[in-house]
Amino acid sequence: MAATERPTRRSMGDRLYDAIFSNRVWRSIFRSGYPNTPRNQMLAVATNVFLHLHPTRIHRTHVKITHTFCLGGLSFFLFLGLTISGVLLMFYYVPSVERAYEDILRLDTDVRFGQLMRNMHRWMAHGMVLTVLMHMMRVFYTGAYKPPREFNWVIGVVLLVLTLLLSFTGYLLPWDQLALWAITVGTNMVGSAPLLGEPNRFVLVGGFQVGQNALIRFYTLHVIGLPLMAAVFMTVHFWRIRRDGGLAKPL
Amino acid sequence: MTTANPAEAQSAAVRGRARRQREEELLVWPDLVFIEFISAVVFTILLVGLSVTVDAILLDRANPAVTPNPSKAPWYFLNLQEMLLHMHPALAGVIVPTVALIALGAIPYWDTDNDGQGEWLSGPRHWLNVYVGAAVGSLGTLLLIFFDNGTHANLWQAATGTKFPVSWLVNMREFQKNFPLWQDGAPLAFLKDIQLGGLLRADLLGGPKIDFALNIPAVLVEQIIPVMAMVGLPILLSAVAHKRGIAQTKRDHMILQFSGFIAVYVTLTVVGTYFRGQGLALGPYTIFAHH
Repeated sequence: MAATERPTRRSMGDRLYDAIFSNRVWRSIFRSGYPNTPRNQMLAVATNVFLHLHPTRIHRTHVKITHTFCLGGLSFFLFLGLTISGVLLMFYYVPSVERAYEDILRLDTDVRFGQLMRNMHRWMAHGMVLTVLMHMMRVFYTGAYKPPREFNWVIGVVLLVLTLLLSFTGYLLPWDQLALWAITVGTNMVGSAPLLGEPNRFVLVGGFQVGQNALIRFYTLHVIGLPLMAAVFMTVHFWRIRRDGGLAKPL
Repeated sequence: MTTANPAEAQSAAVRGRARRQREEELLVWPDLVFIEFISAVVFTILLVGLSVTVDAILLDRANPAVTPNPSKAPWYFLNLQEMLLHMHPALAGVIVPTVALIALGAIPYWDTDNDGQGEWLSGPRHWLNVYVGAAVGSLGTLLLIFFDNGTHANLWQAATGTKFPVSWLVNMREFQKNFPLWQDGAPLAFLKDIQLGGLLRADLLGGPKIDFALNIPAVLVEQIIPVMAMVGLPILLSAVAHKRGIAQTKRDHMILQFSGFIAVYVTLTVVGTYFRGQGLALGPYTIFAHH
């Protein structure tokens, strides 16, 4: 320190800043400093379990909205939103033929924000089918499936199928006329497969027609089976993006 | 590619390229995290706004005794339901979607050239192939649907006041029934009902009597012609595009076919959703009246 530089009296703001951000509790949670220097900005991404889905640096063309239209991220965002609104809906819903429809009616009329919750869940579900499809188109048209990302494209196709199945299984749960007959039409398509069609339809529906067995099967698949599978495939999907150095970039 | 090798193993050119790459890079915090945060906020607001203004559908309580007319699958399966009207159910409901998904998954193993990755349609003919694929896919699908619906025969009748002259060309079911070779009374009419039970005499071996009739015109209309159309027309499209110089590289052809596939998918979905009314008859029809 040069002789001319004399320590000035620390202001109130400085001391407050230190009290909040330099104490042991804060430092035990966030190990890197406030991300206002390149080093700390990289550490913020690299040492945070959620943010480290990203690399610390990305190609400058990839932050342009028109490169990805955020479609993959939006699909994941909708998946998270669907999980949260879905858990809230589960508080009020019993998957039985006697109660399901009445539960939905009560949810819409008696539960505070119940209708809003159900609307959110429905629109996000439709939205996710759209964003996943458009994400696939984006990846195709930007040539982002090319080596070394071939297998991640395959995982993406699996995730597309899981998204459709998640939406399809959720379709039955309100137990109204739309639900019952859409699932009847859909499962009849499965039944038309050669040889294994009818046995598969029987297992899916749990009988010869859509009833209580189908409802509990679709419910279980919808709230736990398929989300778990989707989560596993998403983990692999994101991990591989990361291992391959982020998004595909021009050579 | 982004992970740096030990410096001594790198040539000067590679080091230069690595430095250039660094210069073309941005930090994820704040440049990307900020965009993600903003888009999450924007979409949360949009979704809450949508959910406040438009309620999710809820019809009457499910009743297995009352079949609504029309009964439709969820919208993203209406493309399959639309195909169901034109071909064998096993083909439309299971085989075609399975083959389509496998073909979709196989794209990167078909097109392994690394050129042009990470850029929107960078090749000179890429956009042209998108337009051609999308136009041929959607118009071709509409034409096939109109043909199988007998729209041309209806138009003829409206224009001339007389019945369409070639009865077996009205639609595929008429073709199956009335094609001159196998229409009732024609020498090949037996093709519609070939009893194979007589060949498989399982009953002589003590097994159950097998009754199995083969209807060749039905197999032709429900299976062979649709398969030929679904396989042949894309091949024809690629062949013509190749001949005309529209699609030259493998990636050109992939873009042509993928765009065609998306266009067919969207067209079938839109027709199945908005233009199929009672009895799944074709016509202007709004989903809003149904819901």
